[in-house]
Amino acid sequence: MTSQQVIQEMRGKFGDGLRAAEEPVPGALYLTVDKELIRPASRYLQDELGARFVISAGIDRLATEGCLSVTHIFSRDKEKQFVCLRADVSENGAEVDAITPDVAAASWSEREFQDLVGVRAQGHPDPRRLVLPDDWPEGVHPLRKDFAYDTNPEPVEGAEMPFKEAPEGTSTVVVGPFYPVLEEPAQLRLFVDGERVVGCDYRGFYNHRGIEKLGDSVLTYNQIPFVAERICGICGFIHSSCYCEAAEEAAGVKAPRRARYIRSIMLEVERIHSHLLWLGIAGHILGFDTVLMQAWRIREPIMWLCEKITGSRKSYGMNLVGGVRRDIPTEIHAELLDCLATIEKESLAVADAVQGDTTLLVRLKGVGMLPEEDARSVCVVGPTARGSNVDIDARVDHPYAAYDELQTRAITNDGCDNWARVVVRLEELFESIRLVREGLKTMPDGPLMVEFADEIPAGRQGIRTVEAPRGEAIHYLVTGPNNRPDRWRVRAPTYQNLQALPLMIKDETIADVPITLGSMDPCFSCTERVETVDVRTGRQALLSKEDLIRLSQEKSER
Amino acid sequence: MIISKLKEAIICLGAGRVTLPYPFAPHPPAEGFRGKVAVDPEKCIGCGGCANVCAPRCIVVTDPSQDTRVLEFFLERCTYCARCAEVCVEEAITVTEQFETATNDTEDMHIKVEVYMGSCQRCGRCFETSTALDKLMVTGFQGAPESGE
Repeated sequence: MTSQQVIQEMRGKFGDGLRAAEEPVPGALYLTVDKELIRPASRYLQDELGARFVISAGIDRLATEGCLSVTHIFSRDKEKQFVCLRADVSENGAEVDAITPDVAAASWSEREFQDLVGVRAQGHPDPRRLVLPDDWPEGVHPLRKDFAYDTNPEPVEGAEMPFKEAPEGTSTVVVGPFYPVLEEPAQLRLFVDGERVVGCDYRGFYNHRGIEKLGDSVLTYNQIPFVAERICGICGFIHSSCYCEAAEEAAGVKAPRRARYIRSIMLEVERIHSHLLWLGIAGHILGFDTVLMQAWRIREPIMWLCEKITGSRKSYGMNLVGGVRRDIPTEIHAELLDCLATIEKESLAVADAVQGDTTLLVRLKGVGMLPEEDARSVCVVGPTARGSNVDIDARVDHPYAAYDELQTRAITNDGCDNWARVVVRLEELFESIRLVREGLKTMPDGPLMVEFADEIPAGRQGIRTVEAPRGEAIHYLVTGPNNRPDRWRVRAPTYQNLQALPLMIKDETIADVPITLGSMDPCFSCTERVETVDVRTGRQALLSKEDLIRLSQEKSER
Repeated sequence: MIISKLKEAIICLGAGRVTLPYPFAPHPPAEGFRGKVAVDPEKCIGCGGCANVCAPRCIVVTDPSQDTRVLEFFLERCTYCARCAEVCVEEAITVTEQFETATNDTEDMHIKVEVYMGSCQRCGRCFETSTALDKLMVTGFQGAPESGE
């Protein structure tokens, strides 16, 4: 169905309720509907058009348009199109109907705009806080324009997260926030019946860094790529590329051909090192450190080459709006190809060895099941989706950089378990090596940066996606005055994948929870509070920041 | 099972020892590495372009008197993107290969450059300080963010 047909059909269904429709570039359809229609329109997009929910963005437009707005973003993967469904609300009646009852995948997104922009999602099945800390005062919304970026509101004394009650007959096992396996903070409260997990509650965002706020109040267009890159310490290049592509789309320019090839090549190089890193960590989680040592040894040469090409082994600092800063000169091609050949040979040997290793297989096969229909309803992305036979891959569905010429395919597996996700990543590793080779061979000559005649005008929009090693990342941009965006919305792949965790660990044993979580290659971030549980009495107590400081001072006193 | 274990053993034995003797032997970075920046005060004209592009805002420009401008680099905040060196028209800022910057004294990561802004040292004509300052304020340049304090 073409965009025109979609618009026509929605006009027929919702009449004048569909207030505006525009398609500034092919592949991005922006629709505005009355706020009463946001739920039926979302349901229509999901159920009748088969659109996949991506993310929501709450935007404070009080200064420019006198309203707050909520935009739900959907992807029609096979039509290579994003559909952005916007509804405006007034400041006094800042609430919209929640779409989560129909679109399960929107749960976190809606909780997030409740927290950050202060638009209530009415009828949300779980309206608790998601992003804001427990001691953050009510009614203070950091993404409002009247909230200065360096405001530090007075913490509310004694505030606590209302955790879910454990179901009858089960007990709670608290894992984290200092997570014992992944060295990243998140709190999982597992409800267990004996050793079997029957459900869980999640609390994360302990180290929310407010990067989106910095983007619309402090940084300028060309500073954001360097901050975007620091969203992730492993796959940062995907974020700077995705941001730059979105800004270029909003500005109406395209990076030169050679620059886009360089982006694609570096993105694949990043995938190669990230998948090898993950393979090592997966081995480590299972207590099989040989895999960790060998996978990371194989990975190291590509890190050195990245340093040689970009000037840094991580945080490449290559991207600017309009192109890239460094070339991949012909002199380095031979070295890169040699390096890839070694990695390919050694990875094949490791893949061959581990595929028959029962130590791994018994821990991975049939564990962490995520059936295809569940994967589709929670809208997981990346290898987590493809391991459940959902054939989505941003490189194929929404070609960016040079992927319109560097053709690839979505590698899927119908195992739906942890092993399937291992197999998908291993295959992708070799596919990435092939793509880098092809990219180097076909890369055209030309400039690296496009010249900007004017500044980027305010009020434009851009939405782009990049297939990160962990899945699809989205950057949505509304341009603003003062040489910076009015809103910069980022969704990292783990945001969507983590929401599937309760389904994946249900009916598993506690011992299999770490690897199941690890199988989605999650990426969360640090904290300042711990919870103690008295194992004998089951009594739980929260230690506040003050308690912790007092305890550590007492400990160090002589 | 046994075959897999044998294959794994062969991989490990084939790899041998890969750990480098660093830090007991030096391990210089690749050419083109973006390390700590160096500033040549002789070349700096005080335009402030570096401070304007600096994402972590670690370059601070102040004008203590009418004809002096002070540029301070607080490099403990530096993210090593090298944008300052890239935009410096006078090539006063260069990127070195120095990466071993751990220190107990933050002064080690502090560079202070004083620029005399009175008259142009090349052509002898009067250098209009206000032009360079104004340039920092026009649209398109990084302005001060609105603070809540």
